[in-house]
Amino acid sequence: MNSLAKASTLSSENISVWFGQRQVLSDVNLVFPANKVTALIGPSGCGKSTFIRTLNRMHELIPGAGLAGSVYLDGKDIYAEDFDAVSVRIKIGMVFQKPNPFPTMTIRDNILSGLRLSGRKIENGDEVVETSLRRASIWNEVKDRLNDQAISLSGGQQQRLCIARSLAMNPQVLLMDEPCSALDPGSTRRIEETIQELSSSMTIVIVTHNMQQAQRVSDQTAFFLADDNTPGGVVEFGATEQIFNGPIDQRTNDYVNGHFG
Amino acid sequence: MSFAPRPAVQPWARVNTGRRIQILLASIVPILLTAAVILVTGLDRNVALMGVFLPLQLIAASAVGFRAFGRRGVGDAALIVFVVFFATFVLVLLASVVFSLVSQGAQAMSWGFFTQNNRYVSNTTSLEYGGVGHAIIGTLLVVGLTTVVTVPLGIAMAIYLTQSQSKTKGIIRTLTQAISGLPSVVAGLFILSIAITLDWQKSGFLGSMALLPLMLPTIARVAEEALRLVPVDLRYAALALGAPNYRAFFQVILPAAKSGLVTAILLGVARIIGETAPLILTVPINNGTSWNLFSGEIMTLPAYVYNYLGSAFVPSQNRAWGGALVLMILVAILFGATRILSRSKSLKSKPTKEKASK
Repeated sequence: MNSLAKASTLSSENISVWFGQRQVLSDVNLVFPANKVTALIGPSGCGKSTFIRTLNRMHELIPGAGLAGSVYLDGKDIYAEDFDAVSVRIKIGMVFQKPNPFPTMTIRDNILSGLRLSGRKIENGDEVVETSLRRASIWNEVKDRLNDQAISLSGGQQQRLCIARSLAMNPQVLLMDEPCSALDPGSTRRIEETIQELSSSMTIVIVTHNMQQAQRVSDQTAFFLADDNTPGGVVEFGATEQIFNGPIDQRTNDYVNGHFG
Repeated sequence: MSFAPRPAVQPWARVNTGRRIQILLASIVPILLTAAVILVTGLDRNVALMGVFLPLQLIAASAVGFRAFGRRGVGDAALIVFVVFFATFVLVLLASVVFSLVSQGAQAMSWGFFTQNNRYVSNTTSLEYGGVGHAIIGTLLVVGLTTVVTVPLGIAMAIYLTQSQSKTKGIIRTLTQAISGLPSVVAGLFILSIAITLDWQKSGFLGSMALLPLMLPTIARVAEEALRLVPVDLRYAALALGAPNYRAFFQVILPAAKSGLVTAILLGVARIIGETAPLILTVPINNGTSWNLFSGEIMTLPAYVYNYLGSAFVPSQNRAWGGALVLMILVAILFGATRILSRSKSLKSKPTKEKASK
């Protein structure tokens, strides 16, 4: 395995988002320090998922999308003209809410798909496959069936396969959009352990609806909220410990204690 | 927990003898009554089928349904009667077409009929001599050329219609659908007029070009549906891995849509393989074998059928039927082969259940 890429610091500056004429996010300023796990929490429809998609330029794939502000990866604006979307996405990986392995490929091919899709040469494929699967803690379950179709795996395994697929690209930042929302508690726990281990080599941003999960895996937490008919935004951002145990804003307090949302 | 032996009868499949008899009666009585009406009044059979049998059958089935389940039983019974009646109707129509084709064409069938050409055949020559070998070759060449040209065009159109966000998509889709209503004879005339204007000789190539506008909309539309069925998640997954659009398309979306695209090509071939009018207008026919699409005469199966169908001589009429049957067999072989080819690949890609349950 090549030496792991260094984790990077990611930050957003005054990110506002529109869909058509409707503004859905307003002035989001967050910093995701290297090797830290940041949880984005908040009720449905407050723009968390939209925000996370602006961080690796997946947002611009949605017809009618608009954006203001900047996202910096180690100080370089990923929306700058000399930084194209493809190279951004190679550096900043993403795991989606629904497991989406490529159904026409085997487990092995799924892991290598990122390298193939980005046009890289695969030199030590077996090693990449094993390392990636080990890092996503699914190696022991699939090592004897690497040539089986990916869709023969269970939902939880598929999601860890998707994580492994992102890891094979050796990203500096990993974005996870509710990665456990479709999974059972056992699979969720294993993915949380994986996140903990990964944070030593990359920066992680995770959207979650699960308060306990945010507390278990994250170092810092941002609470998003969209009041009726206003764009969403960050209400409070700080250390996870502080957000859950001593929030400054009353609305944060209500949300993390389950009083609304 | 322990295993229990499988029960002999599924609870939902227990036989209700009383109801069975009712259903049997409800099926037989309308037939007998209709037969009686026909015998007594001398009513036309087709009128009786729709005017007497169908209402009687509906009433009988509704009665049984009502006795069993009340009002919702009536709805179910009526639906079943309609579906079975009209499905049978269509099946009978289809079967009679196939039957007449097979029974009339069978006389012409022999190995020689598939392999020989008609060079030394006259209207009265016995069916032992001559055949459609030259027409099979011609059809395969003409349709093959059209397919080779149209498939990339049609799939490219489908790609454009599904992958781009351009504003002209709507217009192009509407135009494509409009072309699918183009009478085939007009397509033939269009190519013929071009040929006359440019002073080109008629040839198999012109026939291929005349078939193109007929095949294109079918392939474009079916392929568009096939590509649209690929979940957008997969495209996002590929792009999020840092794939440029074209690699995401060729390595992820296209393989996922493969069987649908094969269907698109098949339907396109089926659309044009029996087309007669454009070929009669643009392709000169002959009785000998020709492999040259670009000059001279070449025979195709639809033209062969057309050529002999109007003849007053019995052997020629039989040849026409035989040619039609060969055309149908050809389509069946093409479809069967493609289905088997695309299935054996997709079987390999199915999850291996035994291993998955480990």
